[in-house]
Amino acid sequence: MLQFVIRRVISGIILVAVVSSATFFLAHLAIGDPTIGLLGSSATQDQMASLAAKIGTDRPLIVQFFDWAGHALTGDFGDSWRNFQSVSSQIGLKLPVTLSIVTFAILLTAVFGALLGIATGLRPGTVVDRVLQWLSVILFALPGFWVALVLVITFAVNLKWFPAVGYVQPGTSFSGWLRSLALPGISLALGAVVMVASQLRNALVETSQLDYVRTLRSRGLSNARVTLHMVRNAAPTSLTILALMFVGLLGGAVVVEQIFALPGIGALTTASSQNGDIPILLGITVVTVAFVVLVNLVLDLLLGWINPKARQS
Amino acid sequence: MKKTPLLAVAAAAALALTSCSGGSDASSGDGAANQPLNIGQFMDITSWDPANADVGFDVTYLSAVYDPLLTVDGDGNPQPALATKWEVSSDFKKITMDLRTDAKFSDGEAFNADAAVKNLEYLKKGTRSQEAYTNVSAVKKVDDDTIEIDLKQRDDTILYFMGLGRSWMASPKAIDAGTLAKEPVGSGPYTLAADSVAGSEYHFTKVADHWDAAAYKGDPLKIQPIQDANARANAMQSGQIDVNYADQAAIDMAPQNNWNVAKKVSGWVGLQFSDRAGAKSEIVGNLKVRQALNYAFDGAKILSSIGSGAGEVTNQIFPVGMTGNDPSLNDTYAFNLDKAKSLLAEAGYADGFEISLPMTTIYQTWQPSVEQTFKQLGIKVTWDSMQYTDYMAKASSYPMFIAFISMDSNAVANVTRQISTPQWYNPTPGLEKFPEVEAQVKKVMEAAPDAQEAEIKTLNKLVTDNAFFSVWYQANNAYVSKSNIEITPVTGQMYPTLNHIKLK
Repeated sequence: MLQFVIRRVISGIILVAVVSSATFFLAHLAIGDPTIGLLGSSATQDQMASLAAKIGTDRPLIVQFFDWAGHALTGDFGDSWRNFQSVSSQIGLKLPVTLSIVTFAILLTAVFGALLGIATGLRPGTVVDRVLQWLSVILFALPGFWVALVLVITFAVNLKWFPAVGYVQPGTSFSGWLRSLALPGISLALGAVVMVASQLRNALVETSQLDYVRTLRSRGLSNARVTLHMVRNAAPTSLTILALMFVGLLGGAVVVEQIFALPGIGALTTASSQNGDIPILLGITVVTVAFVVLVNLVLDLLLGWINPKARQS
Repeated sequence: MKKTPLLAVAAAAALALTSCSGGSDASSGDGAANQPLNIGQFMDITSWDPANADVGFDVTYLSAVYDPLLTVDGDGNPQPALATKWEVSSDFKKITMDLRTDAKFSDGEAFNADAAVKNLEYLKKGTRSQEAYTNVSAVKKVDDDTIEIDLKQRDDTILYFMGLGRSWMASPKAIDAGTLAKEPVGSGPYTLAADSVAGSEYHFTKVADHWDAAAYKGDPLKIQPIQDANARANAMQSGQIDVNYADQAAIDMAPQNNWNVAKKVSGWVGLQFSDRAGAKSEIVGNLKVRQALNYAFDGAKILSSIGSGAGEVTNQIFPVGMTGNDPSLNDTYAFNLDKAKSLLAEAGYADGFEISLPMTTIYQTWQPSVEQTFKQLGIKVTWDSMQYTDYMAKASSYPMFIAFISMDSNAVANVTRQISTPQWYNPTPGLEKFPEVEAQVKKVMEAAPDAQEAEIKTLNKLVTDNAFFSVWYQANNAYVSKSNIEITPVTGQMYPTLNHIKLK
């Protein structure tokens, strides 16, 4: 197991290095001279030259790369080119917001996806099952931003149950924090819930036809215990989907953060791209790739815990 | 269209030995009680450090925690704030300012001449703030409540830029500590509250003994950066914000919600002839071609169909209704496609020509108009797509490009930024190829303040006749607010300062 973890960590580090290096060169290629974007439309030539000297873009690109990479290895991602504050501190402010939304959405997805998946998987062909099938198609087809807008107009603008925009820190008000996460979390989770439920339902239907289930029933095990065995067997597929969703929702959060005006990584990414703030973009890239690696590692460990065969493979 | 004698007032500020004195009208309250004020901004603050902040977007935030030396009124005329009055010397190279003696910073330090000098020296070196102080050679303390700003040469824009948002005064201790970017320490009407969430909600605590406390009735005050227009509209409708930077959809909602609407022109839309001197392309260097392209576009139609009617039709770069803009020039190039074709023929391009133009997402709105018009003239365009930041860097390397260019309330600032000094959109003004224009710019810069407006009008006529630009229309900045709030927009600021957001 330890070897497995070490192997995954090393491959993860290589992935982070390759992706962030590629991002460095692609970002510089795409943005070109960032000083105008950073200073705004009224910038003078003198201001642009002065900023270029300050942020070091007047040096050859390869020199800039090794400078950035050298500092990044020590965990120093430099300062934002726009407001000259440390990249790490800015990502540190925004990341908890995005993680809150995504984690809330994943929790909703896991709980409701599992409940619906088990309910329908154990009784395929029932009305509930058919409704879920239809719902899956509809919710999966609906664009996330549209769902979010409908939720805002209904529950924030008309009913005023939840805020239309903004984020409350849990330390300021825990209930306020939950209320600020509710609509963005539900917007992200709706499509994911039906997908996980569908996967779990199909896996359970397949599992219920396996020999060992019949054997367990013939030995007189209670329905609850048989179900537990079936769920454990069917769980890996849903867990994999859930992990993929976590990564996918990090991207989906960009849109949701915009609609609900949440100060997360998505909003920071959009603003940095528009402004040509490359250090922030690079910092976000490293953090995001590191998260993807981490989530996959946790998934592998979980799958190994559920199914020892997976550990050996 | 009513014209505002902006320059007359600006001139008064710059006039030799003319003083502008300053009892602040705003300091007298109108008796209304304090009320909550939640402002929906469309951009997060760039930096709380005034030296690194942006004038266009950040001044709403900065005006909560900092006092400026000068502010501006709705027409861009400098008005007293921490500087109660000022005098400009007869050679225009020295400005003497009297300062308030009753202001203090939130860390307990007193505002005085030493603090003002330190701030101005700091702002002169600032990445973004330096634009206002390029002609400043020295700042000196005269006595505890008087400073002197020495200029290398006459500068008719410095007071305007200071008032627009380049003279925020911060605590000298905080400047030395280098902590302003995160922890603003000013003498403003509010302090930034600890429960603010960066990027989402900035909460402010009212300073009870602020020298102008009666003018700021928003209590508590909250500013929320909300980039998405739909999200801002939802927040306004749900009652989360009271003031919103408005697009046309939000303006349309105003009557049914009993919201006030305030608007003012902010920038011009059209073709920027970056190579009007013809250094790179004989085509755009040809006056007849530039004039043809002025005749070829129907500004009124483009404004109504693409700009949702949110603006003013004019062919000039000076804001409509303000100094420099001359309504009688608006018909100089009244839409006439036949005239455009005949001018092109006279220029030797009867069958049109081929040209490459840059293109990026935000300008795609106007791309079909240009494409269609050019096609009618036989002009074949090759569009080079690029990122927005790249557009700003590369657009001026093309002989012309589609542009939205911000304007200033101050006419001299418009002359320098749009005509005579290098900017990203005009890196080589090329005035040497237009000696008459160059001479007129000189006349503007050297004119006595009371004669400057006439000289600017003459300059405007010259650049219009020489088709320096192809302006289709000027676009508005618009704001909606609850019925108890009045907004005074300022051309040059994308979002107004708090003294222009008044609770009734």
